[in-house]
Amino acid sequence: MNRQAKHTALALGLVAGMVGYGTSAMAQDCTNKIGAVLPTSVDWGKPIAATAQYVVDLINEAGGVAGCKVELVLRDSQVDPKVGVDAAKALVDLDGVQILLGAVSSGVSMPILTSVTAPAGVMQMSCCSSSTAFTGLAKEGKTKGLWFRTFATSGVQAAVGAMVARDKAYKSVAIMYKNDDWGQDIGKLIAGDFEALGIKVTGSVALNDGQASYRAEVTEALKGQPEALYMALYPKEGTAAVREWLSLGGTQNMIVANSLKSEEFRDNVGLKYLGNLVGTDTASPRSQSASAFVDQYTAKFGKAPSGPGLSNSYDATMIALLAMEAAGKGADGTKIASMVSKVTDSSGTPVTADAAGFKKAKDVLAGGGSVFYQGATGNVRFDANGDVSAPAVTWGFSDEGTKELTFISLTDVDSFIASMK
Amino acid sequence: MIQHLVDGILVGSILSLGAIGLTMAMHMLRFANFSHAELLSIGAYCALVFDGVFTAVYAPLGNVIGPLSLTWALSLAILVSMAITGGSAILIDRLVFSRVRAKGGELSMVFASFGVAMIIRNALGLIFGLQVQLYSKDIVFATVLSRDPLLLVKPDQIFSLAAALFIMVIFHLMLSRTTFGYSLRAVAENPDLAQVSGINLNQMITLIWIIGGGLAAAAGVFYGLTNQVNPVLGRDLLLPIFAATIVGGIGSIYGAALGGFLVGIASNMALLILPSGYSPAMPFLIILVVLVIRPTGLFGEERA
Amino acid sequence: MIGIISYLIFFTTVAAILSIAVLGLNLQWGNSGLFNGGVVAFFGAGAYGTLILGGTSQTAHLGGFEIFYPLALIGGMVTAGLMAWIVGILTLRLRHDYLAIATFGVAVAFENLLRNAEGLAGGAQGLRGFERPLHAWLGDGFTYNVFFLIFVLVLLGATYRFLEVLIRSPFGRLLRAMREDETAALSLGKDPAKIRLTSLIIGSVIIGLSGGLYATFYAFISPQDVLPILTFQIWAMLIVGGAGNNKGAVAGAFVIWAAWTASGWGLSRFAPLEIQLYTGSIQFILIGLVIVGMLLWRPQGLFPEKLVISQSGRTNRSENRE
Repeated sequence: MNRQAKHTALALGLVAGMVGYGTSAMAQDCTNKIGAVLPTSVDWGKPIAATAQYVVDLINEAGGVAGCKVELVLRDSQVDPKVGVDAAKALVDLDGVQILLGAVSSGVSMPILTSVTAPAGVMQMSCCSSSTAFTGLAKEGKTKGLWFRTFATSGVQAAVGAMVARDKAYKSVAIMYKNDDWGQDIGKLIAGDFEALGIKVTGSVALNDGQASYRAEVTEALKGQPEALYMALYPKEGTAAVREWLSLGGTQNMIVANSLKSEEFRDNVGLKYLGNLVGTDTASPRSQSASAFVDQYTAKFGKAPSGPGLSNSYDATMIALLAMEAAGKGADGTKIASMVSKVTDSSGTPVTADAAGFKKAKDVLAGGGSVFYQGATGNVRFDANGDVSAPAVTWGFSDEGTKELTFISLTDVDSFIASMK
Repeated sequence: MIQHLVDGILVGSILSLGAIGLTMAMHMLRFANFSHAELLSIGAYCALVFDGVFTAVYAPLGNVIGPLSLTWALSLAILVSMAITGGSAILIDRLVFSRVRAKGGELSMVFASFGVAMIIRNALGLIFGLQVQLYSKDIVFATVLSRDPLLLVKPDQIFSLAAALFIMVIFHLMLSRTTFGYSLRAVAENPDLAQVSGINLNQMITLIWIIGGGLAAAAGVFYGLTNQVNPVLGRDLLLPIFAATIVGGIGSIYGAALGGFLVGIASNMALLILPSGYSPAMPFLIILVVLVIRPTGLFGEERA
Repeated sequence: MIGIISYLIFFTTVAAILSIAVLGLNLQWGNSGLFNGGVVAFFGAGAYGTLILGGTSQTAHLGGFEIFYPLALIGGMVTAGLMAWIVGILTLRLRHDYLAIATFGVAVAFENLLRNAEGLAGGAQGLRGFERPLHAWLGDGFTYNVFFLIFVLVLLGATYRFLEVLIRSPFGRLLRAMREDETAALSLGKDPAKIRLTSLIIGSVIIGLSGGLYATFYAFISPQDVLPILTFQIWAMLIVGGAGNNKGAVAGAFVIWAAWTASGWGLSRFAPLEIQLYTGSIQFILIGLVIVGMLLWRPQGLFPEKLVISQSGRTNRSENRE
């Protein structure tokens, strides 16, 4: 209970602090509205929204965008496509936003894209939608170049997960994945990768959201007595499944996707059981600002960023605002979208993912140069379909939160993926 | 195979407790109460609060009992929680169901229960947060009962099963040995006739809510003990509990108890045939099979 | 200004699509006393049916038959009707709460099937639809939305007319007779199970139409569109509007959908940020309270059912229903 109360107090304090930021720092009397449709009413959605708001506050501190203060209009999607689409439509039509952040679930982002943002020419940037359907849509030209996501395609994470298993010389692995679009995708990918590396997959078990007990599923996964366990789960079912797994004598050799990079998960399972856990994630760049996001986040929220999608949300907001800056005052969504490549240009001037970096980017852009944004998820680089590729990192849990284990550069990731084919 | 069977029994005991209360209310008040499972959530959170309170008041209560992760404080909290949840059930009935009942349309009650469930679930989420909570963060390792075939059981689960059975036996004795049990059964059989024989129907309704709420609270705590506590646990257990009720036959208390175990076992065994992704559909398939083979359930009687 | 009009057209389209589903439910519940706890399954059957039949070719799963759009839409409706037929046969002989629970279960199982059966409809990734009909002429902007709104309104009007005629027909009288006093109807030689089954199927076909239009409008459907919350929303619309009255059903759809969206808009506009992070929960509680409040204080809804009094016996209707 105490912990609960503390967290609530903390959250309220933070939010109060943010509101303070939002109102006091700025002197300009014009505002650039941007919209966000995020599932604030869901446990893991709330921090994603708070992160986006935090970026906006940072930018306002740094003088705003295109000479104006930025205002984030946040709408709850309730993970309900109807509600999300309506919210997006209201943001576009009533608030006149040219940038829409969101949504999280592909099932909400997709109808927003097809029925709101693409027809209206508004740029949409999602932190976390992973469905491969977007790539297909983009290839057909139906996203009109307005669609971006900072969530690296699951292929990288799956490949790195397989790489970990190979390096640890695991002979057999069981897979547990969340039964949603992301989980189904990554579950299938990693099963293929394991097989390509000659690692036996003893079982691949889907875990449904909101199920009373995962006991049967865990028993099923334990059956082949695997040497290691791979998990693409969210903290809620991950906690339940791993506690069950451990208590039934399952191995502590675990490989997990970034969705379990969560303190809630670590605390509820117990650090002592997680010593052999290796996580995968897309990486921070190897630069001075490597820990910029982590440090700032820790300072702001009192704990290291953990939980799915936070750094993706940070980057999504940051890149969107950089593009807005590059496009100049009064630019429409199409113009802003076309500027994304200019702020994630690998031959441009590198800028860090903080207020100082944003100020620097402003100067460079004002001088007609291009910028290479060094994001919280890595040297973000979009391809023609709005998909991002990034270097990877492996991590483990520590007393303070998480610690980085190894860094795998983009070229290493690419050549490893190629070697499995 | 054996493992799935045993797991099913262990999960089933929780469903049984939930289904007993539901079947009584459904039979007597004649409506499918979609908010019954939320009583499990109320019970689970209630115990969470009082567990904290008791431990804070007298620290030694925070010690675990034997090999369990259950503390003395939590076992006391279960009792308090049962009482409070029973009280909440009455309160909900007084505030909503009895009034809707008085206005007519028993089917309106079904929808009222939809609304009540929504309010309770989201209020819990608002008060306690949406994240997972645990009574104890320690992981208690399962005991190996047999190596071949491999059979693992967690002490907490054995305790939950034993406690659930104990509660059911007490309830059985109450039904079969006390006047009050007779009245309850009389009302269940035929409310009109029971009233003629001088049984106060309203008192009986109150009683049913207390019992139903109390059993649900116990189920909620046992669920929390063996799994986790979160605001949507009631929603997650709703369909399995309904399935248990239908399998047993609406109105049959013993049927509900047995139905819980059957649904638990069937859901666990299903994984041997179906891919795990399909498991949420299991309770529905069970309902379907029962409706085809024996529409009144195992012990239910035909009643319009 | 154009923004407001554009939004209103969008809003009206969604509300009109939902009111078709509410009309379907009204036939089942308002006129026949059938508790359909799985509205979303029939809605989803219509939506998926339409997209699978009419969609463009997809490699990974079934579908892509590229059937002429109106036929695809009808195909979706038939899918919904078939599902209702199966559920009805199994449950309608039994006491009423079996139907409530069975349909609720159907909805859960339906969502689960679509989430897993990737070969059927893309699994959790969802099913991407066809180009909206007449897309080539109208583009996908404002003009298209106006056109589609008119299309939906025409169908809404047609459904409304159809139901009005239906409930005034002998069949409609039969439905109400059954709802009020089944034994009496039985004694007159009517077969209640058959009549209720017909009503369940017709209602579900209408709900399926609504689903088909919904999927057409978004050109996308995924398991997320068919979660139980939609059932709850549609029920809320009917209860608030007034069960038994088609005008009420439509009004209820608009009122509840407006309240749902406006509360989200209002909270985002006026509520402090710390409250905003809780808007989802608060909204659900409010809607729950509205439902319960309506049932307590105005169970007949905003537009009460107009009683067709043909005999003097109607006065003690409420006692009969207890």
